[in-house]
Amino acid sequence: MTASPRLGHPDLGFGLGLRTVHYDHILQQHPAVDWFEVISENFIDSQGRPRHILDQIAERYPIVMHGVSLSIGSTDPLDHDYLGKLKSLAADTKAAWISDHLCWTGVAGKNTHDLLPVPLTEHSLKHVCERIRIVQDVLERPFVFENPSTYVGFTGSTMNEWEFLARMSDETGCGLLLDVNNVYVSAINNDFDPDEYLRGIPHQRVVQIHLAGHTDCDTHLIDTHDHPVIDAVWDLYRKAIAYCGPVSTLLEWDAKIPPFDELHAEVLKAKAQLSTDPKAAKSAAEQLKRKVDTDTTDLGTVSTPLHHSAAIVQ
Amino acid sequence: MSNSTETASPAPAELESVQRWMQAVITHPDGVLKGADSEAAQQLINAGAGKLESVVTRSRKLGAADRLAIYANAYYARLLDCLGEVFPVLKRTLGEEVFNGFGFGYLQSYPSQSYTLQHLGQHFITYLDETRPDSSDSAAGDWTEFLINLARLEWTIYDVFDGPGLESIEASDLPDFLELSQTNWLDLHIQTAPCLQLLTVDYPVNDHYTAVRASDDEIELAFPQPSRQHLAISRRDYIVRRYQLNSTQFALLEALQEGLPLGDALERCLDVAEQDNDVDLETDLPQWFRNWSAEICFFAKVTSPQR
Repeated sequence: MTASPRLGHPDLGFGLGLRTVHYDHILQQHPAVDWFEVISENFIDSQGRPRHILDQIAERYPIVMHGVSLSIGSTDPLDHDYLGKLKSLAADTKAAWISDHLCWTGVAGKNTHDLLPVPLTEHSLKHVCERIRIVQDVLERPFVFENPSTYVGFTGSTMNEWEFLARMSDETGCGLLLDVNNVYVSAINNDFDPDEYLRGIPHQRVVQIHLAGHTDCDTHLIDTHDHPVIDAVWDLYRKAIAYCGPVSTLLEWDAKIPPFDELHAEVLKAKAQLSTDPKAAKSAAEQLKRKVDTDTTDLGTVSTPLHHSAAIVQ
Repeated sequence: MSNSTETASPAPAELESVQRWMQAVITHPDGVLKGADSEAAQQLINAGAGKLESVVTRSRKLGAADRLAIYANAYYARLLDCLGEVFPVLKRTLGEEVFNGFGFGYLQSYPSQSYTLQHLGQHFITYLDETRPDSSDSAAGDWTEFLINLARLEWTIYDVFDGPGLESIEASDLPDFLELSQTNWLDLHIQTAPCLQLLTVDYPVNDHYTAVRASDDEIELAFPQPSRQHLAISRRDYIVRRYQLNSTQFALLEALQEGLPLGDALERCLDVAEQDNDVDLETDLPQWFRNWSAEICFFAKVTSPQR
């Protein structure tokens, strides 16, 4: 099956994940960010401030919805109530596309709220593809799937993740959200070559790229979204763009979140990476690194997702 | 788009076994090795702690158990962190270690079954109630009762914050009791705001909530003495607001929330008002309604038979 680049979606430029600590800044300053990605689950049920804020931001900026609970790989039934809410929010916010992860989050009615890895087998591929078709029929649009960071592999797997993604995309017509930090994290954790991964995915189906920082635990990496992007991931990003062409690029930052302007500077490094002036990019990175609190949290190192809205009370 | 139906084929049995097995292993309260040896996991895949690498591969630097432990550690840490955001004052009151102890037990008894973390704390009060100490220990019982009351207040606040409200209604469309003639009052049907929640607590947890939030210091809580508080939790301009009510105000708002016409609601709270020395309904009532409608938006709509 052939596809137009990015499934015909536009290159939105350089965006940021919308986080509660930046709401006031965005509404008051209207920063020149190209677009925002929102965590779907934080808004699909909201009838209060989160939704009020999103509605205002969606009037001014392109919005992309990124979920963490579709659980496309789970053997539990799909949640059609949840799908209906996704569809409704996407219509209200005119979301450019909707994404989630190639993962399962729970089984037997439980939700671990983690992005758990799918055994990469023919059975899994068939199961996932069938569910993607259902999701796309309900939402009436191609869905976009991200490669998660993984910390285990299964002895029963019969193919690489990039092969699984390529076949999944080819069979269902879905798009791909290439998280280059996740490629790097998974490559270190699972002993594969990240360059081979980038070469192996169907480049014309990459609709979006994610960038993020991670935590190096010596024996493994954890996708914590609480540090600047490291040089090795920037290298992968440049290669990904060389393969895929210009693709909407988004920086995720979910813990120890810096002030908005610093976050914006970090994603604009992506723009600089693609320009001929690497010095500007490096300077921005070093400036940011100095400001980030590197203390570990009391709860230890927790991989994303960790998405939640606290109440504002007088 | 494909023409697939909206019903998927049965899931592959092997995939289901691996997922149920992995979930049993990484959510086991005693860790991955105990999880792998548990009956729940063994029934699915006969790979105990010594045979984990028959299911999960090792990496150059980590064995299968350590790799699974990354997920196991994150599971409880992530959800305890979220639970602490729902009950921040309870967490500060108990201290992180004790709070997480309660949370750890709670997550085992009531694992999340929702697509959203917004529902994570919905059974926490029930859990605290179910695990309260033996009734023969009255001191511990009082302390538990205080904690449950505090948790009820925090869950109500949390619920009101992101639930339906009145913000989308123009202020000019909200009820203004100054415009209504007093002769009509008893026939009025007053629809309370969807964000208004009424709560009676048996300990002064509202005062405690205020005090904890006002201080950055470590909490030194005197032994809680029972003291009933009637509270209205509502929202204006997307900010949750707490109001302490007297018994008569509470009874009146409760009756209105049930849908009674104002006259019937007043009749119901007359007995309460007679026992409340600080209340003189004739003089207080107009002021209450002006406050409740104009300033704090307890009401969504007023209908009068004459209008």
